[in-house]
Amino acid sequence: MILKRRLFWMVAILIAVAAIVIPLVSSNYMLRVVNITMITYICVLSMFIVFGMAGQISFAQAGFWGVGAYITAILTVKLQLSPVIAIFASVLGTGLIAAILGLALFRLHGHYFGFSTIGVVMILNGLFQNWKPVTGGADGIGGIPAFGIGSWEFTSEMNNFHLILVIVVAVSIITYIVQRSALGRSFMAIRDNEIAAKCMGVNSYKTKIIAFTLAAMYCGIAGSLFAFLTSYISATTFTFPQSALYLVMLMLGGYNTLAGPVVGTLLLMLLPEWFRFLQEYILLIYGLGVMVLMVVMPDGLIGGGKKAYESIRKRGWAKQPSNDIG
Amino acid sequence: MVLQLIIAGLAMGIVYGLVAMGFVLIFRAVGVVNFAQGEFLMIGGFFSYTLTAQLGLPMGAALGVCALIMGLFGIFFHFLTYWPLRKSWDITVIISTIGASIALKEIATLLWGPAPLGVDPIVPGLAKFSTVSIEWQFILTIGIAALLMGGVFMLLERTYLGHILQATAQDQYAAALIGIPVVVATGLTFAISALITGVGGLLLAPIFFVTTTMGGITGLKAFAAVIIGGFGSVHGAIIGGILIGFVDTFSGAYISSTYRDAIVFLCLILALIVRPQGIFGEKIAEKV
Repeated sequence: MILKRRLFWMVAILIAVAAIVIPLVSSNYMLRVVNITMITYICVLSMFIVFGMAGQISFAQAGFWGVGAYITAILTVKLQLSPVIAIFASVLGTGLIAAILGLALFRLHGHYFGFSTIGVVMILNGLFQNWKPVTGGADGIGGIPAFGIGSWEFTSEMNNFHLILVIVVAVSIITYIVQRSALGRSFMAIRDNEIAAKCMGVNSYKTKIIAFTLAAMYCGIAGSLFAFLTSYISATTFTFPQSALYLVMLMLGGYNTLAGPVVGTLLLMLLPEWFRFLQEYILLIYGLGVMVLMVVMPDGLIGGGKKAYESIRKRGWAKQPSNDIG
Repeated sequence: MVLQLIIAGLAMGIVYGLVAMGFVLIFRAVGVVNFAQGEFLMIGGFFSYTLTAQLGLPMGAALGVCALIMGLFGIFFHFLTYWPLRKSWDITVIISTIGASIALKEIATLLWGPAPLGVDPIVPGLAKFSTVSIEWQFILTIGIAALLMGGVFMLLERTYLGHILQATAQDQYAAALIGIPVVVATGLTFAISALITGVGGLLLAPIFFVTTTMGGITGLKAFAAVIIGGFGSVHGAIIGGILIGFVDTFSGAYISSTYRDAIVFLCLILALIVRPQGIFGEKIAEKV
């Protein structure tokens, strides 16, 4: 318990320091990168809930991200509603769509559910791309106002940074609470053994729909923030490869702990930014790096790090008896 | 008009069928979906450009060389993405193939540039059958792809080597016990899979332009074909591919050319809900 409290304070201080230092030292461009990274982190967290906790592979996350962004864009640009209403509508609308889809798609099990979500992201992308009167078709939607409450507007990059950071922290805390709750444990029970979970009285169909809906709501909020931040959205952002990328980030970080999504997102979003000088080779190295990391650390960086730490500790422990004898 | 559409749909469908067959062969052998399958198709397309337009080989020779290179490439791919991860969880192999697909696209961009490349048809011109005229390219595509599919079938069902591959696909451990070198069998499966998909790319190259993104959407449609046909079934992959080809072509012509991709994937979801195990799939037993 003491250790946990110490960990809590360490994380809290780290976030506070980041909140103060990052805007001071980084340029406007770098701040934009950090903002996009934090939005991506919310999406990876949603992957953490649906795949890391409930064990259901979902490629629909980028599609839901898009739904959130488009709901915000349509409500603020075409209907001139206030951003606060738009952000709530994005979350609820995305959740509603996911719940309805989940009712149909969770009749499928295991890999087959994953396959059907590929269909979902392709259809959603087709709608974004072609449903001209509503989504603006290939032109996308521009001129989305910045987020604001009344007269208090978040126009600058720094304001957006603080707004997104607050939401990131809130969403992380919610995820932590969910993970510790009975609901989270039933998610993990389904991941580890669905039949055993059913025997213990978990309604697996309902629970999986709840996980899928909750994850989609995360994507909804991320999409809404993305729309406010960039003020222009188009269909080319919300594609199947983007979903695959979330899965890659989660797996590289480690799908078992909350630290996994943080590490995975930071690694894949910020490292390419620092290695910009490699220019056209950057994506090649990125792809090869993903392959190598998976081969070297199949449990992700957090899992691999833990394993390395254990082995070092064990070695130290193994030496002790021989010292005693000597 | 209808007959031309049928031929075009069949030509597209049979290429989807080839790619789908590539998916199924790897899935049966190692139990993993290869997300870089579409990139095999793209690499085949680029090779056909290099061999015919840049090196000036005649089409027959280009076909042979392309098949050979793609086979070797499949073995290389096997040792890079699957073999080191064969003992860990299957999702790690999926992630590894996603990484490979990003890397392959970038290699293609570095080698051949980002601009779309045009490839001359194998036999130019139109074939006239009384009132309708059909492009030779479509007819040849159907012919070559059907021959290739027949060849793979014969290999799997009628030859000793094919039985080795099938035995390994059923149970790697048992196959190893009776003395089958598993690494050879899985490597060869990857080679065959890359070969047929690469030739699919060569056949598709003259119909569309060769681009680095051609693999993505074609790969996903072939994937839909695999699911509709029934996962793990080679017949199912071919039938599913041809169905997807028809849906793709006819929805493009009669319903809406902008929504054709969305319609294909809507069919996928409907098929999954009505018959999740696919046309030829067996009822999925729940593991206890």
